[in-house]
Amino acid sequence: MAMAKMPAVKLRAAKTPAVKRENSRGYRTFQIFNALILTGVVVVTLYPFATIVAQSFSSDTAINAGHVNVVPHGFNLTTYKKVMSDSAFWTNYRNTVLYTVVATAISMVLTTCYAYVLSKRHLKGRKFLIGVALFTMFFNGGLIPNYVLVADLGLRNSIWAIVLPNAVSVFNLLVMKAFFENMPDELEEAAAVDGLSTYGTLGRIVLPLSKAVLATMVLFYAVSFWNSWFSAFLYMDRSDLFPVTVYLRNLIAGATGGADQGTASDTALQIGANIQSVTIVLTVIPILTVYPFIQRYFVSGVMLGAVKG
Amino acid sequence: MNQLSRRGFISTTAGVAGLALAGCDSGSDSPKAASKVTSANRTGAMDKFGVGDQFKATTPLTFSIMLLSNSNYPYKADWLFWSELTKRTNVTLQPTVIPGSDYNQKRSVMVSAGNAPTLIPKTYHPDEEAYIAGGSILPVSDYLDLMPNFKDKVAKWNLQGDLDQLRESDGKFYLLPGLHEDVWKDYSLAIRTDILQQLNLQVPQTWDDLTTVLRAMKKAYPDKYPFSDRWSTPPQPGANNLLALVGEANGVWAGWSYQHANWDPTAGKFVYTGATDQYKQMIAYLNTLVSEKLLDPESFTQSDDQARQKFADGKSFVISANAQELVNHYRKDVAKISGATVVKIPVPTGPIGAAKFGSRLENGMMISSKAKDGKDFVALMQFIDWLWYSDDGLMFARWGVEGTTYNGKVDDGTFKLAPDVTWAGVNPGGKKNLQVDYGFFNGVFAYGGSTKLLNTQFPPEELAFQDVMNSRKALPLPPPAPLSPDDREQATLWQTSLKDFVNQQTLKFILGQRPLSQWDAYLSELKAHNSDQYISLVNKAYQDFKKNHG
Repeated sequence: MAMAKMPAVKLRAAKTPAVKRENSRGYRTFQIFNALILTGVVVVTLYPFATIVAQSFSSDTAINAGHVNVVPHGFNLTTYKKVMSDSAFWTNYRNTVLYTVVATAISMVLTTCYAYVLSKRHLKGRKFLIGVALFTMFFNGGLIPNYVLVADLGLRNSIWAIVLPNAVSVFNLLVMKAFFENMPDELEEAAAVDGLSTYGTLGRIVLPLSKAVLATMVLFYAVSFWNSWFSAFLYMDRSDLFPVTVYLRNLIAGATGGADQGTASDTALQIGANIQSVTIVLTVIPILTVYPFIQRYFVSGVMLGAVKG
Repeated sequence: MNQLSRRGFISTTAGVAGLALAGCDSGSDSPKAASKVTSANRTGAMDKFGVGDQFKATTPLTFSIMLLSNSNYPYKADWLFWSELTKRTNVTLQPTVIPGSDYNQKRSVMVSAGNAPTLIPKTYHPDEEAYIAGGSILPVSDYLDLMPNFKDKVAKWNLQGDLDQLRESDGKFYLLPGLHEDVWKDYSLAIRTDILQQLNLQVPQTWDDLTTVLRAMKKAYPDKYPFSDRWSTPPQPGANNLLALVGEANGVWAGWSYQHANWDPTAGKFVYTGATDQYKQMIAYLNTLVSEKLLDPESFTQSDDQARQKFADGKSFVISANAQELVNHYRKDVAKISGATVVKIPVPTGPIGAAKFGSRLENGMMISSKAKDGKDFVALMQFIDWLWYSDDGLMFARWGVEGTTYNGKVDDGTFKLAPDVTWAGVNPGGKKNLQVDYGFFNGVFAYGGSTKLLNTQFPPEELAFQDVMNSRKALPLPPPAPLSPDDREQATLWQTSLKDFVNQQTLKFILGQRPLSQWDAYLSELKAHNSDQYISLVNKAYQDFKKNHG
């Protein structure tokens, strides 16, 4: 769902202090081109989404005839009513919300604690702990061993199969570690002098000052859990445990090239393009609406790793 | 939509009769293994279970099954299918629900991890070969004695030759396939009949007729390509259905049914398909169509939507079709052209005459090898035999419960869907959908069967098409030549580069980028891609199998 990862790009070019340069011809040309190119990027990113939205309000015949671009043809809301009356859709939707909230919460706790510890240079075995995390970025056991592990731990058909194996993202961990390392040591020393324990320092001093990175991480985790389907697909054997992404994937991929298409005597009907669009729109909207609220932090947060490696 | 290629149709050279070899029975399905089944495996089994008997377990049993959840009719636990099945057989199926979009991947993980349910349906030959070495699936051919209905259908419909295609080098097969009474053909060409009428033309019977028709169309509409085709998804050369149809008419499998080895009955050995004269004939025919501008050269590269668009806009008059596409798309597409009518014509015939070939097997079911140690193993096999292979079971899986979802009988032609039940456009006003609400006609359970049963699902128009196709003679299949696992690996390597090369050159010849006079040069290039080594491997496998299991 690339649509979900589409922040409204800020077009305003950065202001330079040199007033003269702003008036120079070269700079204005640059600005014009900049605006044009970025507008182009916006159009390219928004166009597919606008088409999907338009399709979701259109009739199936109009879509198949290729009449729908960004304006709905044969406007109707019946498809929305139809999809929203499917109880399986809402069951899976509820699962997605539940999985995302629980998984994000657990991931945040684990990642924050791990990153904070790693940011302390005096920690014994720090290099080893970093190494352990980094190792998993480059090597993993593979699909089937993972499956056997999760199955033998008895996690199949439970939320933990989705939450635990993906709880710590090493990339996020390193970004957070860099942020914590940048925090002035004096602050924590002062807190220690005033009698705060390690946990007290973390909870009362460090975290309140780290809202930016926390918001960024919440967003990263929430989006990735919202969009993920593979672990749920792999570890869940009952359809009432699927998240909505699995439902959506089956609707789109299953209708066009799925394993069932080969059945000669199975008279499969194509799923209407409008039904697919409606489901996409309904799935994307919640995570899309989260963006504006966090975007402020998001922009400054992403810079973190770049400033100091 | 490349349905045909998935089914893994087996290649054969057609034309010449006298395929005595193909008929030779290599079915050494030993009753020895079945006798290993002891009284310890008989929990719930019926003492006497024969053809026509209703299977009912003597104690309630539960079997686990992998269930493909089709997005058109997603799995529901409250389907009438489940409750009625338990009522009739005393068996409860416990499904592992898998979205159809990624069924094969999860099947692969579960089987490899040793976690698979007992029943693993919806498997297409040769997918099962990947699991044989691991020992996780049952050599079902050893246990056919427990399946009277299966054996009955194989004998009655003379399916031994078809079944032989499934055998591995150990002489056994590991997949219980769906069984069809006759070769079922669905794919053909759709043609604008109003244009035929306007130009005073007949529906083409042969491929040469088609050329005549296309020429007349070209004459009347010189600025158009009368034929623009679809189904060009790689890796095949493009226009995959057209190639398959013309290939079949010439006695060779091409397009999406392409097979590397072709059986030559006169020589009694396999030859390389892309090097045969029949393959050349097919190319020459299509090259004529392209060079006379009767066939749109974009047919081999364009997307399905582009081809449909041309047909819908009246820019072309002929396009590949199946029954579904005709009704669901083409008719609707051309509705805006006044007076336009479309039909799916019977597949035109070619040099081999009014014949057809193909396998009569469907996708099928693997059984976890753990099952044979289970206490209820015999009952399991009887249950499978009843639901997938008995007349009652086939009818039940397809059409449901008499008096509730359907009325009448198939045999006397009185069969009719219940008026309030809708399915695939039948009874459009019906409140309940046979698949979505009742769980019948599910691709996991309903496939195969007699021609009469198959015909119940067609509207009159499609029935007429089927009648023509059914009257054509089905040619025998080639003898089995299963490769050993090691050879298979080597063969796959050669196949990959051979296939790329053949596809590429086929397209060049058809489009006229390479003149057919260079055919001999092409043949020697083919040898440079190891076609000879590949074929001798297949012929060796054929000889070995004949010696050991023939």
